[in-house]
Amino acid sequence: MDEMEVLASGEGEFRLLDPDAAREWISQHRAKGLVNKVVTEQEAVARFVSDGDYVSWDLADVVRGPLSLFREIIRQKKKNLWIAHRFSYLIVAWLYMGGCVGKVDIGFIYMSRVVRNAIEQGKLKVIDWSNFAMTSRQMAGAMGIPFLPTRNLLGTDTFKTSGAKMVKDPFTGKPICLVPALFSDVALIHAHQCDIYGNTRIFGPGLNPRAVAFSSRKVIISAEEIIDPEEIRMNPGKTTLPYYCVDAVVEAPFGVWPGTMPGRYSMDPEGWREMFGTLDNEEQLREYLDQYIYSVPSHLEMLEKRVGAKRLVQIMVREKNREGYY
Amino acid sequence: MNKEIEFTETELMICVASRTFENEKTYVIGFGMPQITCMLAMRLYAPNLTMAYEYGTIGPRLQAYDPILMAGSADNYRAVAWMDMNWLFWQCSTGLFDYAVLGATQVDQYGNINSTMIGEDYSRPKVRFPGSGGANEMGSLCWKTVVIMVHEKRRLVEKVDFVTTPGFLDGSEGARERVGLPKGTGPYQVITSKALFGYDEATKKMQLQAIMPHTTVEDVLENMMFRPVLAEKIERLAPPAETELKLLREELDPKGAVIKAGPVIKLKV
Repeated sequence: MDEMEVLASGEGEFRLLDPDAAREWISQHRAKGLVNKVVTEQEAVARFVSDGDYVSWDLADVVRGPLSLFREIIRQKKKNLWIAHRFSYLIVAWLYMGGCVGKVDIGFIYMSRVVRNAIEQGKLKVIDWSNFAMTSRQMAGAMGIPFLPTRNLLGTDTFKTSGAKMVKDPFTGKPICLVPALFSDVALIHAHQCDIYGNTRIFGPGLNPRAVAFSSRKVIISAEEIIDPEEIRMNPGKTTLPYYCVDAVVEAPFGVWPGTMPGRYSMDPEGWREMFGTLDNEEQLREYLDQYIYSVPSHLEMLEKRVGAKRLVQIMVREKNREGYY
Repeated sequence: MNKEIEFTETELMICVASRTFENEKTYVIGFGMPQITCMLAMRLYAPNLTMAYEYGTIGPRLQAYDPILMAGSADNYRAVAWMDMNWLFWQCSTGLFDYAVLGATQVDQYGNINSTMIGEDYSRPKVRFPGSGGANEMGSLCWKTVVIMVHEKRRLVEKVDFVTTPGFLDGSEGARERVGLPKGTGPYQVITSKALFGYDEATKKMQLQAIMPHTTVEDVLENMMFRPVLAEKIERLAPPAETELKLLREELDPKGAVIKAGPVIKLKV
């Protein structure tokens, strides 16, 4: 009577989380001391992103997305990554073109011609969930539990393509959906501010930055600015993440260029048009990656040589809505 | 009676939909058309409607539509709260959100929505679309689901190729509840570029309730793959009013990023 009967199972591939194994990993690898974690983006990606890693991040790409870190991942030609994706316009196209991606969990994926062709021709493996299903999976990972019950996905083909299960709730006897916990290998989070230890501040709405960080083995923060640790302690209510869940801190001013960091700078119309214009054609996209990634050794040199101070000042001026941030 | 007005299909859908939006109700909305519809409704018909996005911005007072930049600062301006995706959908799950407003690639006679793919083989789709995004949870958890979409034969089908977001599923009595979806939720309205549909209570099938000012019942039916239930009286909807068009064009979407899409309709009024 009391057993939890499985009524239906989705067919989507997912990586099973053993919460005890995750606990053990965390207890062995999370440094609890206050150590300076500031490194270059080259070092952060070389040390903390491996071929085959399961990669997650918060929010979109052109809004507070960790684009400078993704550019470095492409520059270092990481291979076979599994992307825990909710919504983005360009990240999957870039990673696919760079030969970095193995498979992609999907909430919503912008159907540029390049991505659409790749999926339709069977060159890019995708696993459809939904935005909230992915978010719930990360929440479960962050809670240290193997799954979470939700009341969506039920009755749909999205359920079938996902790895969710429909079970009989042992308390009420009614059907409910269970989504398996997601515990990524590395989380990339772009923040407004961070101190050298990893105490992180993110302003404005997000998807679930805390859950993304706490449901990942390794966490790289790229921050618009690195601030004094005393400033963190003077206003602890503003802290999004405490230092001990962060492995590396990268200073990345304009890290979202050509996208926007809400409350700090707007998108760059020129860079935006150029970027979007290349997403529908493999040849043009390859040239774009050459120009903005492979031919420049770092994010700062990309800004200096390909964008220039004038446009960076302009996008700071263009961001008019600053209320509520910082 | 001799004045000729001009508007796009998109403007027509937005204007008609905005008049149906309710004051003092909560809406989770998709981007683009649903968002501008909410903005227009708040300016003219439902000033205290609360709109929210899936990432947790609640009740923003938008000045103008900001193309593409979902979650950019303009979308979040003067909101009452900035929460996150968990909290937003938990609120939907507890019944706090009255309406979901979505776009759709394909809708079937029972209001099931496809925004994932066309074809038989999931691993090799004939045409691939963006996927659920937040649509599955919006259509699962909000009380009433409203769809706004272009009226085309290939979009209004008897059975969708892929159920991304649940409607009344197979249309049988209690189908949603049987799979565990919250009781009393489901499809409510479909507003297309040719008509306004509700749902027939007994059969759960789409019901033609009103037609757009430039079309006929025959034209509506000819451009669908299934025959909807016909309401006893099928009304003719009023064309966009001057005040509606002026607001849309001058203030809400001055760049025309959304409202300029689709064929232009000319009408003598």
